[in-house]
Amino acid sequence: MTHPVKVGVGIGIVAAVVVLLFGGWSAILAGIVAGAAAALVTEGQSIRDRSATLRNGVISGAIVGVFILIAEIVNDILVLPLAGKDPVFPPFTLGPISIPYNMFVAGLAGLVLALAIGALTGWINSLPDKNRRLGLAILLLTFLALYPALDAAAGLGWIEQMISIMIFVVLALGLNIVVGYAGLLDLGYAAFFAIGAYATGLLLSPHLCNQSGFNCEFYQQEWSFWLVIWIAAAIVACFGLLLGAPTLPLTGDYLAIVTLGFGEIVPVVFRNLTTVTLTLPFTGICIAGCIKPLNVTAGEQGINPIARPWVPVVGSFQTGEYIPWYVLILAIIALSIFFINRLRYSRLGRAWSAMREDELAASSMGINLVNTKLMAFAMGATIAGLAGVFYASYITAIFPSVFDFTVSVIILAMVILGGVGNMTGVIVGGLIILLSDRVLLPQLATLLKDTLNTTVVPHVESPAVKDFLTVSVDPTQWRIFLFGLTLVVVMLVRPQGLIPNVRRAAEMHPDEDTWDLPLSIQQADAATQVRSVDRETTID
Amino acid sequence: MPPLLELTDIKTYYGNIQALKGISLSVAPGEVVCLIGSNGAGKTTTLRTIQGLIRPREGTMTYDGKDLVTMEADEIVKAGVSQSPEGRLVFPRMTVRENLEMGAYSRSDKVGIQADMEKILDLFPRLRERLTQKAGTLSGGEQQMLAMGRAMMSRPRLLLLDEPSMGLAPMLVEQIFRTILDINQQGTTVLLVEQNARMALAISDRGYVLQTGRIVLEDTGSNLLNSELVRKAYLGEH
Repeated sequence: MTHPVKVGVGIGIVAAVVVLLFGGWSAILAGIVAGAAAALVTEGQSIRDRSATLRNGVISGAIVGVFILIAEIVNDILVLPLAGKDPVFPPFTLGPISIPYNMFVAGLAGLVLALAIGALTGWINSLPDKNRRLGLAILLLTFLALYPALDAAAGLGWIEQMISIMIFVVLALGLNIVVGYAGLLDLGYAAFFAIGAYATGLLLSPHLCNQSGFNCEFYQQEWSFWLVIWIAAAIVACFGLLLGAPTLPLTGDYLAIVTLGFGEIVPVVFRNLTTVTLTLPFTGICIAGCIKPLNVTAGEQGINPIARPWVPVVGSFQTGEYIPWYVLILAIIALSIFFINRLRYSRLGRAWSAMREDELAASSMGINLVNTKLMAFAMGATIAGLAGVFYASYITAIFPSVFDFTVSVIILAMVILGGVGNMTGVIVGGLIILLSDRVLLPQLATLLKDTLNTTVVPHVESPAVKDFLTVSVDPTQWRIFLFGLTLVVVMLVRPQGLIPNVRRAAEMHPDEDTWDLPLSIQQADAATQVRSVDRETTID
Repeated sequence: MPPLLELTDIKTYYGNIQALKGISLSVAPGEVVCLIGSNGAGKTTTLRTIQGLIRPREGTMTYDGKDLVTMEADEIVKAGVSQSPEGRLVFPRMTVRENLEMGAYSRSDKVGIQADMEKILDLFPRLRERLTQKAGTLSGGEQQMLAMGRAMMSRPRLLLLDEPSMGLAPMLVEQIFRTILDINQQGTTVLLVEQNARMALAISDRGYVLQTGRIVLEDTGSNLLNSELVRKAYLGEH
């Protein structure tokens, strides 16, 4: 699907759905993102052919733009009136600029932006490799820097959801180390997220300290968050080793079941660590909770308040002021990506891929399987720990119920749908899943409800049908169903994920060497295909 | 000369099944020694035990004066024992170059690794042509060369070869055995496990015959070739 028209139509439909649901100035953001996405996806058709990449970017961007314009108009004259709303939006205000809302202005802005960004991305794609990477990085960074302003100017308010989504992106990146690089299926990854969050909760809230009778100033210090983030990450890494150790003799399904067990145990432990008394074994000397048993995790009530980060100039991060949090989570993602990339190409990274391919052969090469596996767990856990620290501080309260099995499953689904072993895939896949779940679905639900109430229900006679329409038609209640459906469809249509890791993809399709990979890779494969026919024969 | 490798009364089990019922053998520096025997005789198990991939339950093993029984597989590789595993266990999704680099995993001298890579590519010119190709797409013979080359990349003093001729065309078998002799002449001691007894014995200084986990015969390569037992059981002569 790399033909520019096809790509334009495909991504155009997705962008149109977003604009149809949100209307207003969402066309601007949709135009920017979809234009860039379209140009990037068409890239494979014309490797390094300058005029063709540029042309493909323009064509696909223009098609996406047309879809957005049409969606904007349909939203204004059809969708909103049907839902009983006036197509009125506040003006687009960015600094001194203030443009009053008009569907043509918004739609055309979306079109022009899609075209312009498509062309720009297409042009960057046509540059020599080194400049191309630099150009794409600058494009991405500019977008990330402008996003909060654009979001506010367009009056969308997506940034709050974006921050929680990015916590999951960090988690997916971490799980990708364990599942994607080391090939160890971990079904209890949320446990490390929980341990990171609870470590932060205990260190950065008065909860535990007040019971200890010690001086309780640590958590009130301005710098404490910046210290705790490293302490917590180290603690979680240790737990990664601890939980990894019993799984060492296991592989495949057995390993998955054991990790599933850990994922279940950890929240239960946090739920029940409410009356703790520590005595030294044999001697009976009491260390903690002697007078009154310690309430370590406060059970279902959870721990709060948890202190927030503080930086000079900005001061303490506040709830509702999203930009500092946004920058912090972006920094954590950037740090994770840098760290994981370094790991991947290190000795350890090579040992992981060898171990994933063949444990016995890897062992004969002098790879210590025990250390290699443990390091995968520890590294994955460290990343989850960072996410946990951010989460605890961002929400300022933590409860054991937040870290149950579904969290592990969602993270794993992000990794698998995005493309196991490919960081870009995991990030993009994760963003798509969670944006659909947390941003699109609620909006769809609201629109549907309004439409039913204003346009359909008044004309329905039967009270039973009326009741059904007002109560049961609610897409947010179908989210688990839709999630499951997505999993089934993606695994059938594209088992290697949206953006697969080349090597992993080959493991999934041993006999099939070509699909929608960039052409350069297909060509390399084509060269080898002739040989792979007589792979099993011995004639030379 | 003291032996480079010495096994005394090694007993190895898979669960409750005893695969090696007391193996004693020795390999002197610079020798080519082969283990022959039928399927299930314990040839591969012997090599895996030496490499540290399976622990023996009883017996002693020394390599260069060091106790092998207590060493981990990765330490054994570092100490200079390297194996080309049975069934050509190359990493199929890695390129030929990456496979060779994995072979040098236990080393950290970049310059030396590069030089050895060149040497091995000279030894197996076929691999040089296929450097960027995925190992899984190589032919059987090429995979065997890759597995041997990869084992050589750790610059072993003792090279363990598990059935290097398995499933190869006769012409290629000859070429592989010639290469084994080359490797040996460049100073690497070789312990070879083979079903192709004729070829293996022809290039070996000494040989051991394994039957159901026991060594039943031990002699020089040429004597074994002429021995009654070997001729009947393994060479199919009457």
